[in-house]
Amino acid sequence: MINFLCHLFLPRASNNYRSYLLHFKVIASLVFVFFSLGLLTPFLTTSFPSVLGVSSDITSQQLVVLTNEKRQENGDLPLVLNDGLSQAAANKATDMFNKNYWAHNAPDGTTPWVFIKAAGYNYTYAGENLARGYNNASDVVNAWMASPEHRQNMLSPNYQNVGFSIETGNLGGENTVLVVEMLGSTNLAQEPSGGSVNKEVVVPAAAIPSSPAASVVTTPALTPTPVLAQSRSVSGAKAFLVSAASQKAPLINSKSFSLLVVNFTLFLFIFILVLDMIVIEKKKIVRFVGHNLDHVLFLSLILFVILIIFRGTII
Amino acid sequence: MYEKFKKHITYYFFLLLILLSGLTLTFLASPRLVLQTLIVFVTVVFYIILGISHHFINHDLTVKIMVEYVLIGLFGISIVFFMIMGGII
Repeated sequence: MINFLCHLFLPRASNNYRSYLLHFKVIASLVFVFFSLGLLTPFLTTSFPSVLGVSSDITSQQLVVLTNEKRQENGDLPLVLNDGLSQAAANKATDMFNKNYWAHNAPDGTTPWVFIKAAGYNYTYAGENLARGYNNASDVVNAWMASPEHRQNMLSPNYQNVGFSIETGNLGGENTVLVVEMLGSTNLAQEPSGGSVNKEVVVPAAAIPSSPAASVVTTPALTPTPVLAQSRSVSGAKAFLVSAASQKAPLINSKSFSLLVVNFTLFLFIFILVLDMIVIEKKKIVRFVGHNLDHVLFLSLILFVILIIFRGTII
Repeated sequence: MYEKFKKHITYYFFLLLILLSGLTLTFLASPRLVLQTLIVFVTVVFYIILGISHHFINHDLTVKIMVEYVLIGLFGISIVFFMIMGGII
């Protein structure tokens, strides 16, 4: 067994002084396997969605807990999960999938506030944060916190309520998980007489150039009115889950699975190349092959590229 | 190992330049998947050309070395292809 492992990993006479896993036929086989798996996976995800597909572990409850943790760290009052805002977030996510866009405003000009009003939430202040491609709630919240505009939205004392929607679907040919966060407050006591006027609307600036520029409309801030913690905890006690949790998650999350397989393969090959390089250098063996260091650098690039491609984005 | 690196310092400079440019452009192209894939493909092509040219200049280019660079390049492309098809699309 040890002999076999040495044959696989270490350069020696039995493998012509090149780790067996670095032989052409092994690499060529892997190339064939990865191309085949790449072609096969979309077929499997469409034919057997209950076995292989995109899923997410994110829930509204996790998001609201994490958001409130950040708000409390900042000395702000916690937000309360609101059914109306959750419904608005769900409608926004559905609209994005149906009209195939990734922006605060729809291509037909529909703003996020339309969804909030349609859900019956008569806001004084409202805001929206969007995220896509994340697998867990803490990554979403951390990404928002790392962006000044999103952070401002999350920690703003102007908001009392929040609604989340976590939806999976195909956006621009990409199976992805969308997270929509709608923030708002309905401080009717501060409204002018006869006022159904929306006082402030703040949307974070778009993070990607392809997205339409987000609207930022501000009006003079109103005098903050203390809100009783009691009324907060009662009104939003029930979570409105229009989330991925309500959809049946596949047995294997194709994204996590692919990432696991690829990371393992890349780390294994980088390790073997480094090992091969060290042993050859120590034994002073002369051979005519490419530089292992080149391949290590190249495979590291592939590893980073995958991390970039697979990281989530926020706007 | 260090001496080898020092001997081929110009080559490694250009190699790192190509790889880091590819990485930066992929980052900047986010989240346009098609553009990112194209950038990775171009980077791989440059990697293969640079590797083969380097061995050619050093007079130690063999068919085996050429195949090695092409295979490693294809290996990288196949991994990205699998990730995109398997993990996203």
